[in-house]
Amino acid sequence: MRTRYIQKGAEVSEFSQIPLWRRGNRRDLIQIGIGLFVVLFVLSSYLVAVLHLLPSDPLQINLKEMMQRPDYKHILGTDFMGRDILSRIIVGSQAYFMPGLLAIAIAISFGTLAGLASGYNGGTIDAIISYILDLIDSIPKMVIILLAIALFRPGIYLIMLIVGLTNIPAVASLIKSKVIFLKKRNFIEAAKALGLRTRQIILKHILWHNCKTVVIIQATLGMGEAILIETSLSYLGFGVQEPAPSWGNMVAAGKDYFFRGDFYLSTAPAMAILISILGFYLLGDGLNNILEWRRKK
Amino acid sequence: MKQILLWKPILKILSRELLITILLLLGVSIIIFSILHMAPGDPLHIFINIQTQNPDEIAAIKKELGLDRWLPLQYLSWLNNILHGNFGNSFRTGRPVFNELIGVSLYTLILTIGSMIVTLLISVPIAIFSSLRRHPVLSWGLTLLAYIFSALPVFWLGYIVIYIFTHKFNLFPFLSAGYAGTAKFNLLYFLLPIIVLGVGNGAISEIIRHLNAQLERVLSEDYIKAAKAKGASIWRHSFKEGMLIPVTTMVVAKIPFILGGAVIVEQVFNWPGMGRLAWQAALDRDYPIIMGITIFAAFFVHIGRFLQTIVYLFVNPQITAKGEEA
Repeated sequence: MRTRYIQKGAEVSEFSQIPLWRRGNRRDLIQIGIGLFVVLFVLSSYLVAVLHLLPSDPLQINLKEMMQRPDYKHILGTDFMGRDILSRIIVGSQAYFMPGLLAIAIAISFGTLAGLASGYNGGTIDAIISYILDLIDSIPKMVIILLAIALFRPGIYLIMLIVGLTNIPAVASLIKSKVIFLKKRNFIEAAKALGLRTRQIILKHILWHNCKTVVIIQATLGMGEAILIETSLSYLGFGVQEPAPSWGNMVAAGKDYFFRGDFYLSTAPAMAILISILGFYLLGDGLNNILEWRRKK
Repeated sequence: MKQILLWKPILKILSRELLITILLLLGVSIIIFSILHMAPGDPLHIFINIQTQNPDEIAAIKKELGLDRWLPLQYLSWLNNILHGNFGNSFRTGRPVFNELIGVSLYTLILTIGSMIVTLLISVPIAIFSSLRRHPVLSWGLTLLAYIFSALPVFWLGYIVIYIFTHKFNLFPFLSAGYAGTAKFNLLYFLLPIIVLGVGNGAISEIIRHLNAQLERVLSEDYIKAAKAKGASIWRHSFKEGMLIPVTTMVVAKIPFILGGAVIVEQVFNWPGMGRLAWQAALDRDYPIIMGITIFAAFFVHIGRFLQTIVYLFVNPQITAKGEEA
């Protein structure tokens, strides 16, 4: 499909001259838009909390107004202790964001390092690193996390540290296969022949030019997973503890009122979980389509 | 054309794989063993509680449980027992760990495999449909729907399903799979958790993404164009590389993930599986049970890997013989 290179009649010879938003189709842009909306929501929640612009105090117990249906004063109603659900959802988004970033940072930095080392060198180093990564990979993530919780009673940051560690193999194997693929390419051979330093080849020609999309996509997927794990653990009662709001413990608190017909106590936070995980998945997918578009021809 | 199987390299590769698996299981057991003994609080405190303060009696119990020996020795004796098929006895119940685990892991296996099938039933048709590129908007809509499903929090989905089936339709009083064999038992006890985990485990979107990419890649290969040109069935030519390999890859890669999701579904549906036992055992510091569960879980994961290697080998013996994975 060469026509893609022609932009409004004007021939563009270089792929990089096509602006990012023209590379994908409209569906990709919609996906990225939904994703960015979720990211903006989380970021603005910090701003809103700092500037005291929340609809009401998320920790303020008001027994006169418990279990209210949505109205103009409480847009999403109140929970079983009369706390405003909307405020709790806004603040609850912070429960996963920073810990999730920690998990992503660990997974990506160590995963990239391991993938590069084993992919570029091969041989014994590759064998040792692969063994260690396989070791991490052979125990189900949730079993490790539950074990750590039961034995050490860690906070949410420590839990996410473990999540990050367990995500290293996935990132490493992606980077590794990419590096092995790139090593055989002509331009790396040429760089070597020109006498470029190994450090420069790895950092610039392998990592920066060819691996950054993998990293970005893994980061968005990692955030989706961080939400999933944080909310699951908080739901089980091991993550963020009441009264501090987290979407997981809000669902857990609301579930007891389910059978009385009070749905949105747990449905509102569940929808928040749904939309955010969806947002991060769609963001990753859309970015993938746009950034890797060259390979799709 | 008759396919010739070269048994010697295949057996060589499989035995190498087996060796690596054994090494990995050893490593897993060492890691878990050291984590267990690094953790603050020892099983004795929970076990004895305040029933005795007499140091002689405590020492006697310690000796009986084998906790007084040097740590590496404890590990070696545990390993020796495992090699003789003896997983030890639970500290809590005193029953053999192996017997407890067999029953529990059977339930978890049913849950895991069943939900994997549900996941595949949803994701494979969508991936095939969208890779054909006949209706881009419709296939985008379907993919989006599948993404929404896989982003649904499993615990909430579980409650919705329980609510609908027990309260709205009044189909049955809600029990759990633990009641299998009793008169009140209903097939739905088995099916509902499986369907909930299959829909909500979060693997659907990844399977669709991977399968779609692989199918599109294969369908644009030259040999498919050649097959099209001579009027041969495209399916027969693209099945192995475009379907079988990516599906096995994803299924095997997602086994640990689904085992993890099973922990939550077991909680919601009162399913007597490994996740619940693991949690209880970790709280009780029931070392033999914890060691057994992690070994079992790692074993499941590696059975999956082993099957994957076999599938790869028989689809294309070259793949592994050259040391290059697809």
